[in-house]
Amino acid sequence: MATSAETSRAVPDDSAADSSAERRTALRSYVNLTRELAVSSFKLKYTGSVLGYLWSLFKPTMNFAILYVIFDKLLHIGKGTDNFVLQLLVAIVLFTFFQEATISAMNSIASAGNMIRKAYFPRVILVVAATLSSVMTFLINMVLIIVIAAPIHHLSFGWRTLAVPLLVIELYALVLGLSLLLSSLFVYFRDLGHIWEISMQLLVYGSAVMFPLSLLDKHPTLKMAVSANPVAQIIEDMRHALVTPKVPWTVDVMGWAYAAPLALVVVLCAVGWYVFHRLTPRFAEFL
Amino acid sequence: MSAAITCAGVSKRFRIPLDRSTTLKYRVTHLRSAGRYYDLHALEDVSFEVPEGEFLGIIGHNGSGKSTLLKVLSRIYTPDLGSVSLSGNVSPFLELGVGFNPELTARENVYLNGAVLGLTHAELDRRIDGIIEFAELENFADQKLKNYSSGMQVRLAFSVAIQADAQILLMDEVLAVGDARFQEKCFDVFARYKREGRTVVLVTHDISAVSLYCDRVLLLDHGRLHADGNPAEVTALYRRMMGAVSEAEDRGQGGEVGDRWGTREVEITATRLLDIDGGTHRVFSSGAPLIVEVDYAVQGDTADDFVCLLRIDRTDGLTLSVPETQISRLTMNKQLPGTSGTIRYKVDALPLLSASYALTVALHDQHRGHTYDQIERVQSFRVIDEKSRPGLVELGGTWEAQPR
Repeated sequence: MATSAETSRAVPDDSAADSSAERRTALRSYVNLTRELAVSSFKLKYTGSVLGYLWSLFKPTMNFAILYVIFDKLLHIGKGTDNFVLQLLVAIVLFTFFQEATISAMNSIASAGNMIRKAYFPRVILVVAATLSSVMTFLINMVLIIVIAAPIHHLSFGWRTLAVPLLVIELYALVLGLSLLLSSLFVYFRDLGHIWEISMQLLVYGSAVMFPLSLLDKHPTLKMAVSANPVAQIIEDMRHALVTPKVPWTVDVMGWAYAAPLALVVVLCAVGWYVFHRLTPRFAEFL
Repeated sequence: MSAAITCAGVSKRFRIPLDRSTTLKYRVTHLRSAGRYYDLHALEDVSFEVPEGEFLGIIGHNGSGKSTLLKVLSRIYTPDLGSVSLSGNVSPFLELGVGFNPELTARENVYLNGAVLGLTHAELDRRIDGIIEFAELENFADQKLKNYSSGMQVRLAFSVAIQADAQILLMDEVLAVGDARFQEKCFDVFARYKREGRTVVLVTHDISAVSLYCDRVLLLDHGRLHADGNPAEVTALYRRMMGAVSEAEDRGQGGEVGDRWGTREVEITATRLLDIDGGTHRVFSSGAPLIVEVDYAVQGDTADDFVCLLRIDRTDGLTLSVPETQISRLTMNKQLPGTSGTIRYKVDALPLLSASYALTVALHDQHRGHTYDQIERVQSFRVIDEKSRPGLVELGGTWEAQPR
């Protein structure tokens, strides 16, 4: 879309406003804008309902309760693995965050046409704010798991628990890279919305959310392919770090191939940033 | 004086696709035509500088590129060629209420909209009461915006917008929304910006606002810079360009700004609005002196003595006063061709309250049957009442009370 050397030559010259004090002020106001946008979109989710914010706690709690009854009391799935219900909960919370954040971020640019056409601010703020709003829901869910589910299932914490924040950071990096890519492409190709939704259906299975990764032990190629998916790797490692050491670290299973999901996250971030950066100047014209 | 805005050789074209498709199927099935477009040259090689503290107006007919230019200045659009440089922080809003969400309350919207303007939460915490109060919405602050009338929304948006601390303000048609009272508030803020020496770029259709506040005006025509100069000249040029249109629109009392007719045996050569010290102004205070000076030159034979008439209208067309030399028993004696003179009309204490006014000047024969020269709305001016009293005039009456 944004073509030719002309564009790069014509980037507005900021050198005059380069003093570090002004930069700091600008940065501070951008951080502030990001926060206001994230908070207000979080508020909007619950506005108008009688229970309001309580829903953000109530919904996942009910969700967990249903899963618990169905999987643990009725279906007895995952008998062989330790604490499967909790493994399932963790996987669902992680995947829901991945899904919600990427979908809302994908729409973040296209649905903010009015702001983009009328005010200048770095467009990336809209994408970050959209993902942050999902982060809030995600953090509430994680806290709920630890506070409610953990005592029931006698979770044991150890050194491996320290991997939790690292895995969250990895997941967020993946979400951000994908969001940048999706949000900028979505402005030009609206089909992407449907394509991404279908991809999500596939990814639920491709990320071993509903079953333990060990289920694929008989199909080594398939297991390799699934493990190369960063979402699957993060979910599996989170099971080890948070739920039970009986689920092995993926790095122990995959060996050198462990580099694949990590590399994919880095590549997606780089590609996402590059594509977003290239397409940004035309957003205001196209929306 | 250093330049706050430098715009050098800016060109911007829009590629308007002949058939824009955002779906995959269309792209695949119309591979050949998908790339077809025509170029719309919105701006072509526009260059100018705005010194710090200048109040610049940009005018032009619809589609002349003025809003595009403002968007390039504000970095919303990237120019295809040329460059824009700004020194000092820029208020990034072009319109009122950017980011407003109807589902949030007024208070929440103030924080959101304020954040777009670059204000932090803490700064807004300090100012929020003042903002709500200025918007006259104290009793509605926690209502959702969707329950507001459009007038209330505009008041709220404006009240936030004027909080911007930026040194450079870019404004697009802010005057187009809102009623006469809202416009008065806008003018008060413009006057404040001018006093504070901020750099303002105002895109508008309101010629009287341009001649009232702008130090300089750019006239755009089909994406090119058609004129760049003082407000009187450029607005006159614009009116000539728009000539055919404005005549059709010209109904009601008086007529369009600058309309002029007469046989010109006596010609108006200049008009000035002065304060007591002889400085020319466009903004006056209630209760302060106002002096109107009209220079004239006699060009041909006049049959008789002549009469000078002034008419002061509020900008919405309401006539407030029509002072005239004959009624005031000042005789303007017949003069020989080639001579000239000055007529002075002095008001010791302006009884007018806050509003914008236009001055029309006319020279007639003494029976008022023949017009030598008449210029409609030759000068606009504004009166600011420091006490913000409601109403139109101060009658200057005195009070007395006798309690019994």
